Amino acid sequence: MKEILLDYDKCNGCMACAQACAAEHSESKTIVGAILEGVRPRIFVQSVDGKPFPIICRHCEDAPCVDACMAGAMQKDPETGVVTNEGHAEACVGCWMCIMACPYGAVDRDYRSNTALKCDRCPEREIPACVASCPNNALFYTDVNVYADARRTAEGRRLLAIG
Amino acid sequence: MRYLIIGSSAAGIKAAETLRGLDREASITVLSEENEPPYSRCLLPEYLSGKKSREELTFRAGNFFKDNNIETMLGERAVYVDPAGQEVILESGEAVGYDKLLVATGASSTCPPLPGIDKVGFTGIRNLDDADLILNRCRSGNKAVVIGGGFVGLETAYALNRRGLDVAVVELAPHILALQFDATAAEILANDMKQSGIKIYAGTATRELRPPEGLGRLGSEAENTVVLDDGTELKAHLVLTCTGTKPNVELLVGTGAEINRGIVVNEYMETTVPNIYAAGDACESTDLVSGEKGLTPIWPNAVIQGKTAAYNMAGRPRKVSPLLGLQNAVEFREVPAIAAGLSTSGPQDGLEILTVHQPTRGIYRKIVLEENVIKGMIFVGNIQNAGVIAALIRKQADVSKIKDKLLDYSFNYGYLWPGMVKKELEEMEAEAV
Ligand SMILES: Cc1cc2nc3c(=O)[nH]c(=O)nc-3n(C[C@H](O)[C@H](O)[C@H](O)COP(=O)(O)OP(=O)(O)OC[C@H]3O[C@@H](n4cnc5c(N)ncnc54)[C@H](O)[C@@H]3O)c2cc1C
Repeated sequence: MKEILLDYDKCNGCMACAQACAAEHSESKTIVGAILEGVRPRIFVQSVDGKPFPIICRHCEDAPCVDACMAGAMQKDPETGVVTNEGHAEACVGCWMCIMACPYGAVDRDYRSNTALKCDRCPEREIPACVASCPNNALFYTDVNVYADARRTAEGRRLLAIG
Repeated sequence: MRYLIIGSSAAGIKAAETLRGLDREASITVLSEENEPPYSRCLLPEYLSGKKSREELTFRAGNFFKDNNIETMLGERAVYVDPAGQEVILESGEAVGYDKLLVATGASSTCPPLPGIDKVGFTGIRNLDDADLILNRCRSGNKAVVIGGGFVGLETAYALNRRGLDVAVVELAPHILALQFDATAAEILANDMKQSGIKIYAGTATRELRPPEGLGRLGSEAENTVVLDDGTELKAHLVLTCTGTKPNVELLVGTGAEINRGIVVNEYMETTVPNIYAAGDACESTDLVSGEKGLTPIWPNAVIQGKTAAYNMAGRPRKVSPLLGLQNAVEFREVPAIAAGLSTSGPQDGLEILTVHQPTRGIYRKIVLEENVIKGMIFVGNIQNAGVIAALIRKQADVSKIKDKLLDYSFNYGYLWPGMVKKELEEMEAEAV
């Protein structure tokens, strides 16, 4: 299974990932359209003492948000491993139990629909929009095993699993 | 192997699903008094308000039992367990054998000893039948009084308000949500509720409930009267009592199982009787913050306990991590709020309290610490990253290095990097090698 990884040192907070994410999840599929439609990104470029720090769902193996969901909307797809509250018959009601449960702060509120908003790993794309748009190669989309191997090298140790 | 699960809700369904994942062959039976597909009682307010239909209350797909090859006995009430014979006796007289039994019987509403409640009739909200009864009563008039301003009472009050009823809430404690929120947080939430027209009478006992008098009793406009301590009389076609629940433990009385307020379990979710496990609102387990045994009656905990019980029933020993008994997320009208752990504590409890309060923006944040370890939290208005703080409570991590940042709106998971996150990664790496 693939994961979205971050090389924290390479992120300069350009926000390309957030814009690409919003665009991908908009009707128009454009950055301007996303702004007009009020679509919020699902990757949160926050900062730590002024240094940018993107936060995005890790699609956990034993996901706390799935356990917490009292509507049954938050589900982990057994095939793709993707955790999402969208596209299921059991609909999200915006109770925010998942926000309380997520230790990464990777779930936010969608003000338009009053439901939980999180990364769905771009189901229509081969490579998630955030990764594809990153001009600094700070975001990768890699197989977890490759990641584990890479982490044994000094270079790999800088990588952080964020997706 | 025959697994029998009593209760088809958060704990029972998660246990059945997990068991099937661990054991393709075993016979798994889910038995429940309620003759319904797995539905979430947390969604009952959405049903009352009209936002969700009956069919939309399910938390698993309609074919869940069939797909997972799980047998069901719905509409059957278990009345007795014979641990020696490994049998559960049903109200119908039928006996159902088991090799491993999970008691996930949840909790029931309690009826407080209010003068006159026998005459007005007790109505609570715990299951679909209750909800249907309430909806039926709503037809006779549009005034409702909800006694109990806790989480369930307020959710219900708000749902009835959305339905178009004229709703008042009566709460004995000085403010609403007294178990989860302090006075400052409760005031913001109460103001939000009042915006929608709900009246709140807090710090008020209910002196008496009076049924309709004389002719009124016959007419469709029959009104009950709720008399408050100060003499105020509130009229109501519908009086709801949401003052608490009690765990359904009766089934194990007489089996030798240790029972306190709830069924006592160890960290493997085993009761003190061999081959009998318990999970969810019916059981007591160790609270993470207090370290004491107690009820942990919320949906996520029931799910985690059900899952853990399943692993142990299937012979794969797994300890349940200590759970946060108190964790709640709410949004009535438009103010979201989250509380966890010792959220209502103050400096008088010998704890360190950090707060920010911006009344005009409807924002309040509070963090309760003991020797640099977070014991409780309240986030009102802006709840982004609340989970990061809740995770620090669950980890009982020393936060002295980031204490001054915790209340910043910009505080996020990144602040745990490189310190805590890196350590976590190194542990992951050590495991991987
Ligand atoms: C209106 C409302 C709103 C709520 N909102 C939230 C929320 O937002 N977040 C949250 O975390 N929690 C919420 N809760 C609490 C949550 O619903 C419970 O924590 C959760 O349902 C517990 O699950 P359980 O599996 O332990 O038991 P339960 O859900 O209580 O289910 C137990 C089942 O067992 C059956 N049963 C009991 N005894 C027998 C018997 N002898 N024989 C056969 N069957 C039996 C019962 O009929 C019932 O169907 C809410 C509760 C209510 C009532």
